[in-house]
Formats: sequence, structure tokens, C-alpha cells
Amino acid sequence: MASVLIVGGGVIGLSIAYECRSRGFEVTVIESRECGGQASGAAAGMLAPYSEITEDPDDFFMLCQKSLELYPDWVNKVMQFSDETFEYSRNGSLYAIYHEADLLSIESKQRWQREYGIESFILTGDEAREREPLLSEDTYAALWCPEESHIYAPGYVAALIDACRNSGVNILEHAGEADLVSGNDRQVKTDKGIFEGDHIVLATGAWSRNWERELKCSIPVFPIRGQICAYKGPELRHIVFTSQGYLVGKDNGTLIAGASEDIAGFDTSVTSHGINRLESWSKHVLPDLKSERPFHKWAGLRPATQDGFPLIGKMTQKPSVFIAAGHYRNGILLSPVTAKIIANEIEQLPQEVPIESFRPERFQLV
Amino acid sequence: MNDVLAIDGKQFHSRLFLGTGRYPNPFVQNQAIEASGAEVLTFAIRRVNLSSPDEDAILQHLGDKTFQYLPNTSGAKTAEEAIRIANLARASGLSNWIKVEVSRDDKTLLPDPIETVKATEILAEDGFVVLPYTSDDPALCYRLQEAGAAAVMPGGSPIGTGLGILNPYNIELISEQLTVPVIVDAGLGSAADVTKAMELGADGVLLNTAIAKARNPVKMAEAVKHAIQAGRLSYLSGRIPKKKYATASSTIDFISK
Repeated sequence: MASVLIVGGGVIGLSIAYECRSRGFEVTVIESRECGGQASGAAAGMLAPYSEITEDPDDFFMLCQKSLELYPDWVNKVMQFSDETFEYSRNGSLYAIYHEADLLSIESKQRWQREYGIESFILTGDEAREREPLLSEDTYAALWCPEESHIYAPGYVAALIDACRNSGVNILEHAGEADLVSGNDRQVKTDKGIFEGDHIVLATGAWSRNWERELKCSIPVFPIRGQICAYKGPELRHIVFTSQGYLVGKDNGTLIAGASEDIAGFDTSVTSHGINRLESWSKHVLPDLKSERPFHKWAGLRPATQDGFPLIGKMTQKPSVFIAAGHYRNGILLSPVTAKIIANEIEQLPQEVPIESFRPERFQLV
Repeated sequence: MNDVLAIDGKQFHSRLFLGTGRYPNPFVQNQAIEASGAEVLTFAIRRVNLSSPDEDAILQHLGDKTFQYLPNTSGAKTAEEAIRIANLARASGLSNWIKVEVSRDDKTLLPDPIETVKATEILAEDGFVVLPYTSDDPALCYRLQEAGAAAVMPGGSPIGTGLGILNPYNIELISEQLTVPVIVDAGLGSAADVTKAMELGADGVLLNTAIAKARNPVKMAEAVKHAIQAGRLSYLSGRIPKKKYATASSTIDFISK
């Protein structure tokens, strides 16, 4: 059977590894440091495309919707093969607004999303507080979206690693920086030696720009830092979104508030400005947080792209090389659909969603 | 070229008003703003954290540079609502400039003319610098000027459609008739649309989606900057009349005998 070599052990690389292995490929993952050590492990695990994408039913929206639809089966399989469980809460979201003028935008979002079969309800402030009693009196209205869900990302990533290992994926951590071998489209070199694959998948998140040299095309992926903090309680029944950020309660009793979008290069430190901003906004949303302080703060690097869409697919100039990167805020959500797209590309099978907008060679060097 | 745009006594070297919505991320947004050379930035007040604007998800990234902020009342369905939003914006210290945007239709977001005139009149009277977003009706634009608008912003086509200028005749007429600046707002999709607006005599353009949703927003911002300059120069230089038949560009006199 043909072999697949995956560079990058984040949620995207691991999901592709798991999917390819389940289709019978020999799969190796090489990770420069530790699997899930970057954005994947830092993520709040929101599976909430309908709150995140407010403007157009474009290809990216279709991609997110498809992935959300794949999630229940995908989670079952990962739990089954890893023999582990992790939180997967399908408790719906409330997009809270604080101005009468925001009604028009949620009405318009509801109108076009309804055409895609998405169920949602506009609640008055009182109705929203009935569903979610902790919401502030300032809540003018909310869009309730019952299908949205969230996952405990560190648990999901740990289970993916074990699901991969149990199904026979070879995972090599601490492999050091990887580079394509010049003149050989099936080899990758690291400090640990040279690795080969009939197909090579580059799933290196915010670090993907490094491939520009060998691939000789523009790969405009760069880091945007996300800072997050966690409180001990209070308990929320839904994911709560606002224009300034989100709040989500986890089974382990923590309440997560996220997230900043910082221009800070590859610096993963937490700043007082970033966390103070989350704190002061969170108190507006949930007045119960007034006397609380976060007990945990962290940051991760989201792989942002020039046009906001990920890069997923084959390099036509080097057909043994594939890219799956640039998922920005939605890497956890998009992991199942990305895995299936890459596996379908490798097997030259038809795709279930349009992927033209995500072709990795779409950027011109201007 | 000392060709400045003046509104409310302020002078601008750039004739681009840039929207701050829909960018893929703050890094691209900041670079696009810089590449565009825009001095006036617009944003929806309803989206802003008014209790601390410097902590707002979008505004915090604009940092130390000084821009003229033009908050807008998008989402307002009536004049009363637009007026309430304008007062919130002024009270927060963001700006006393306000782009009046009143719409009842969530599908086309076309401006409601009657409510727009009403809000413009009341806000101008109350000391705001009012720039109403309006449909491209010359008579209506004239009424907005009379109502005290500091500049009038007719749409080329509905917001975010990229359909360009659907009625160039009206835009040209509006630009001719008004004494306050005319800023073509909404629907422009590319550099060509921008040049067209400027050639028709507009004093400036407002763009958001055409730049924010371009594959390369930063380069599109630069293209738009040049398009404004090209269109403005072309307008000031005076185009040739259109004729049905050819005229040789080398006349017979120049042919050596």
C-alpha cells in the first residue's frame, strides 16, 4: 500500500493521519516538537460556524457546515479507536447583542442561513435570560443556534494521538525542523534523518510560510496570537458569543473566555492588556464574573491567511505534495472535513464540498 | 498636486474612506489600511465596545495613528434609532462625525430615503457632522445637502454586491449639482469602478468589501489608491468628447512631403 508522510502533529495533521490510515495507507507523522503543542492544544474547541461566519454563504461556510455535520460520527470513531472519552457538548449557542441596531444583522444572518437548513431563533433579552440566566440585563436580544457545539480540545487531541497510534500510525515527535529535499518530491529531511512518503502532506499551521522556498509559490500563512483565560465557574448552559468574544463552560467546571487576535509574530506570551480586555468584557456579558479572577491564562498562534480561507489540496506543480494549513480560528472544527478532503485528493476521489477556493496555489506573487 | 478634500474644515489628502469590517484578520486589516493611504475610517457603532473603545476587538488594532473616525448607524431601521446611535457614538468620545445609514430591508440594505433625510436634519441641527448614505437619486441628494449634510454619500449599487455604478448618469448629475462633497459609497467592486466614480466627478469613494474580501486585500488597497488618483486626474484633465468616426491622431500636415 502507498505511504503518506505527514509533517505536523497538530489537530489537522493527526486527523489526516487517522483518516488516511483508516483507508489503508501506511502513515507516518513527524512533529518538530510535541503533538498538539501549538494552536490545537490552546484552542477553546468551538464548533460554531454559524456564529463565527456572519456574512456570506461562501465556500468557507459550506466547508464549516460540512465539518460540523461530520463531527458526531468522527468523534465516535476517535473515541472508539483511542478507547478514551472527551467532552463533546452539543448544547447550542446564544449570540448576544446589546443594541437594537444589531437586530437587522442577526435577522439577515438568520434569513440566509435558513436557506442552508440551519435552525435558529431570535430571542428577546428576557427570553435569552430565561435560557441563560447569567446573561446581563443589558442583553437586548440573542440569536439561539441549537446545533452549535464545543469540544474539549486537549482531550480531543490526546485521543486523536492514541487513535492514530492504536490504528498503526507511526508518530515521531521531537523530530526538529523539517524541510523538503531539493529535487526529490517524496522526501523530507529533519535533524533525525530523511523521511519518505509516496504522498507528503504539509500540515504545519502558522509555520507554513517556510515551504515557500522549496515549493516556489506564495504561501501567505502567518501567526495571529489568541489569548484565552479560564475562570472556575459559574456554570453556563450555552456557548455565549458577542461581537467582542465568546464564553464557554467546560465539564471540568471551568469557564473559558476568549479570545484576542494579536499581531505579535511567533510570540506566545500572555499580556496584561490582552487578558484585562477579556476580563472587562466578560464582566459586561456575565455580571457574576465581577468578583472573579481568571485562574489560568494562555495563548496560541492561529494560522491566519491573506484571504481568510485555509489552504487545502494538492500542489499541481509537485503532485506528490499536499498542503493543509491556514485554518485560523476554525482548526478544531475543520479537522474532520480537512482530513477527508486530503484523503480524497490522495485517492483521486470526488469531493463532497467545493474546494476551489482553498487551492494552495491560488496566491499570486505580487 | 495640491488637490485636497475638505469636509467640516478638515483637509484630507486621500479621497478614500475605508470600512473596517470583514477583513480576514487584524494583520491584513492594518496592512490594507496602510497601503490604501486612507485618512477616514468607518465602522458600525453597534459592533463597537463603546464602554472602552480602545479595547474594542477592531479599533484596538488601529493603535497610535490618527484617523478621522466616521462611525455609522448601520442596523438602524428608523431616524430615531439612527439618532440614538449617533448620540452613543458622540458620548463615547469616538467622533462627532456620523454616517447616517437607515435601512428597513435586510436583503438589499438599501437606504430608506425619508428616514435618512429626517435623521440628517435633526443630527446636523444638533451639531453633528453628518454624512448620509443615500440612494443615487439627484433630487434626494440635493435635499440632503439642504438638510445640512457635510457630504452626501450616494451608493453605486447595494452594499457588498460589487456591482459597481449602476446609474452613472445619476452619479454624474449628483456630483455636478451638489456644492458639498459627494462620496460614492457602496457596491464598488474593483479599481475600475473606483476610477469610474472619480471620472464622473465624485469627490471621493468609500470602500470596504472590495478590499477586505479581495484575495489580496493589501494589494487591492494599493490598487484602489492609484485608481482614485487616476480617476481624479482624468476628471480634472477633461476627457475628449465621444465621436462616432475615427480621427487620425497624426494629421495630414505632419506627413512629410
